[in-house]
Amino acid sequence: MVSFAWLDWFWLVVFIVLMIVCGVLFYRLGKRSLADFFLAGRGLPWWLPAASVYATHSATDTPMWVSGVIYKYGLRGIWYTFFSAWCAISAFASTRIFRRSLAYTQAEWQTLRFSGLGAELLRGWIAGWQVFMNMFVLGWVGMAMGKLCHYLFNWPEWIGLMLFSSLCAIYVLAAGYWGVVMADFQQGVVAFSVIVIVSIWGIVAAGGPQQIMAKIHSLGESWRLNPLAFSGWTSGDFPLVWFLTMLVIAVIGGFGMGTSIDWYPEAQRIQSARTVRDASYSIWAGSALIVARNSLWAVAVLAFFSLYPRIQDTAQYEMAWYRLGFEFLPVGLVGFFFAAVVAIHISTISTHLNLGASYATRDLYQHYFRPQATDKELVWVGRVTTLILLLGSFLYGLMMKEITQWLIFALWIMTAGIWLPSILQVVWWRFNAWGYLASWMANLGLSWLVVWVLPEFRVIPSLPDYLQFWIMMVLGALIYLPITFLTRPEDMNRLVKYYVMSRPLGWWKPVREEAIKRGLIKPERDLIVGGQP
Amino acid sequence: MKGFKTQWSPEEADRWSKEDYLTFVISPLIYFLLALGAIWSLLLLWYGWLTLGICGLLLWLMIKIIDPKLKAISLDYEKKQKEFLEELEKIERWEN
Repeated sequence: MVSFAWLDWFWLVVFIVLMIVCGVLFYRLGKRSLADFFLAGRGLPWWLPAASVYATHSATDTPMWVSGVIYKYGLRGIWYTFFSAWCAISAFASTRIFRRSLAYTQAEWQTLRFSGLGAELLRGWIAGWQVFMNMFVLGWVGMAMGKLCHYLFNWPEWIGLMLFSSLCAIYVLAAGYWGVVMADFQQGVVAFSVIVIVSIWGIVAAGGPQQIMAKIHSLGESWRLNPLAFSGWTSGDFPLVWFLTMLVIAVIGGFGMGTSIDWYPEAQRIQSARTVRDASYSIWAGSALIVARNSLWAVAVLAFFSLYPRIQDTAQYEMAWYRLGFEFLPVGLVGFFFAAVVAIHISTISTHLNLGASYATRDLYQHYFRPQATDKELVWVGRVTTLILLLGSFLYGLMMKEITQWLIFALWIMTAGIWLPSILQVVWWRFNAWGYLASWMANLGLSWLVVWVLPEFRVIPSLPDYLQFWIMMVLGALIYLPITFLTRPEDMNRLVKYYVMSRPLGWWKPVREEAIKRGLIKPERDLIVGGQP
Repeated sequence: MKGFKTQWSPEEADRWSKEDYLTFVISPLIYFLLALGAIWSLLLLWYGWLTLGICGLLLWLMIKIIDPKLKAISLDYEKKQKEFLEELEKIERWEN
């Protein structure tokens, strides 16, 4: 338990009031239109969505997750956090394509890329899935806050879960995405500064880098200091094959849309940027900050390990970075630290409240129930669905206990079977809605079977996660590729429209030729090489 | 920069080119080196600073290569955006 001095409470209260006021100030902008409530009018300079990308992906559970993998695997655990590298290619590939489509959400994009009943089913499915996923993310992030407050103040977990999410909902309800992104900027700056301060403080408290390394060497755990200490090609707890699989998933995944669960919040940030260039830089810079932040955390957790090297309980060592802050910062700064933790927390909560509401409003309510609804009505529907998501997240949160277990499973279920189809839908004209829909359905069944059910009944042995990925990818392909070829290609009119608007990368030759034939784009030979036309 | 285009017509910028492909290689490399360089620098190892230095150079190179193209795409696309948005709303309202 941590005891707060008056100065600590002062920091906390001031900061929460500032965050809420900062968000609520944008009430007038948020209610102007649907595009304002969910995309800040598509007019943001790159650094605002970049700060939002960073702030959103710095959640209360993130330092627990990073602490967990670094404490367990040493510095090589950094590669568990390297999945965010999908933005390295995405920023210049799928981000550009998606921004040009102008779709509010990934679900809406499906009806621009595909056509007919398949596209509508896909849109409804992805919208429903995203409403559920956002509620789920809100639940697990909220529960991480519940656990932290329990550790700090001995509060029952439900208080931490509900209190801060409810405070955050005030400005999300009032100003929508304007409130989210403006508060995110403020929260991102505060969070990054505090992460730097606490991590360096922790490193110094452990005696500095030299002493940390000397201590780890003396414990006979030198491998912990090497980020590339593989345990063999396929053997041990950190095989090279796992590392290569992770690199493929993360880096090549950037060509697709939806290859990572983080794509969905990023898609909103992409569309809120004022130009294609701003969208690219926002995604790239926000993720670069995340990569740097993870490294900072990694060294701080290593410092913690040198101080407390024999903790066996996962729930205990997942608190490593928090403990550095709460146990070593001086009185007065602890409250500031906790205020920053609240910032970290509500920046994620606000994003998922608004994002989940955008799917419910734009893709479900407007598209399927009230296509002619006015902007005013849709903004109100956005507010109501925000509230429903908040309440639903409390229920989910109370059902979750082990943070890391949920995170790993959620990441896996989202990436394995639909990873390749999510790329194919972007780069290959012949891939159709039925193929993509089939891959989703197959993935849901296969992930449960391969990860849990079959090993549980000893039909197959419990497989390492990299093997699960490749098996699910192959099994999935055996289902969705025949379905793609047995069903018709998408309507050429829709494909041409999409091509002219988005200019996708990859295998689009028949569509490009059709667009040239219709006079919508110029053939390559007509382009003047080396300068202005 | 020699070997790379700095002036793009809208039609040229719309096509995927060697500038894009090179960016696809450099960009993940920057992230990779940033992750390692930051760790080693925080541990006060000299090669950490070197790695971060290389990272900075690659970032400069990447922006030099891709920024003129991104500017050209953005300028041209902004002119068409209003028309595309109207089309999008028609689809949304089942009018198209």
